Amino acid sequence: MIIAIGLITFFLRFAPLALLARLELAGWLQQALRFVPAAVMAAIIAPPLFFAAGAPNIVPDPPRIAAAAVAALIAWRTRSTLSTVVLGMLALWALQALLG
Amino acid sequence: MPQVPGERAEFIDGLRAFVPMSMSILPFGLVCGAAASNAGLTAGQALAMSWVIFAGSAQIASTQLFAGGAPLLVILATATIINLRFLMYGASLSRHFGGLSRRWQAAIAYLLTDQAFALTILRRSTSPRQPHLHWFYLGLAGATWVCWQLATIAGILLGSLVPASWSLDFIVPLTFIAMLVPLLTGRAMVLAAVTGGSAAVLLVLPLQLNLIVAALLGVAAGVAAEKLGSDR
Repeated sequence: MIIAIGLITFFLRFAPLALLARLELAGWLQQALRFVPAAVMAAIIAPPLFFAAGAPNIVPDPPRIAAAAVAALIAWRTRSTLSTVVLGMLALWALQALLG
Repeated sequence: MPQVPGERAEFIDGLRAFVPMSMSILPFGLVCGAAASNAGLTAGQALAMSWVIFAGSAQIASTQLFAGGAPLLVILATATIINLRFLMYGASLSRHFGGLSRRWQAAIAYLLTDQAFALTILRRSTSPRQPHLHWFYLGLAGATWVCWQLATIAGILLGSLVPASWSLDFIVPLTFIAMLVPLLTGRAMVLAAVTGGSAAVLLVLPLQLNLIVAALLGVAAGVAAEKLGSDR
């Protein structure tokens, strides 16, 4: 599994660099690819806020949702990963203590 | 400084550009290592992930899918979707590195990350006549690689020592929030993120296909919003 993902990843990185030196990616493809990081990251962020580990049903986790909102605000204001992670964790612990 | 800095000077500038970036690479690498060892991968496998794949988002996602018992094909497809952005980066970099030897291109490709891409393009726009941009890239991306490997090792070692009650798994969404928020420029991009996030929660799909389908829906929403955007 690891080697297969590694090969795919290398191909995605190498192919355009080596082969597209004179070719351009199609316009629609470029346009669509611009949205991939935002869509993927949001899809990774959201589920752990609404599902307990392994639970089949939606169970909102209020401390996590609120802490994520705080972290988003911090990320927006500071643009710093370290501040976002540290303050986001502190927010989560505070909220967990408050909300049980 | 000479008028046209040499290769060595460019390489050192690349290392310098890495320093502030290490603040985002370190916690992410720690989390990747810890997540992999907690998901039941051996230390060797967790380490191999970091040097064979060397792409944090794909490593985290495939680790989680692996822990959830997803089929191999779903894991591979998800990793592919997440790493599709490298096509875009590579196409953009090929304008500057297209003339280099195959060996250089292979090294550049292997070391390609979101951060290395963004800072190299920035460098290109601030000093457009610089002939040794690939050395800047090598300093920057090489330092990123070393930092990533060390952070992963630390994560593997520390991951199993931290009790679950500390909720340190929350660092994963936090690092992604820190990366996502600066991307949200414009209505179409916000819509792509909101759609991707909601779909990942609301869709109930077999075989853990949620992430793939949610990402594709998010991309579709972004493209559609951009197409319609001029009318609004």
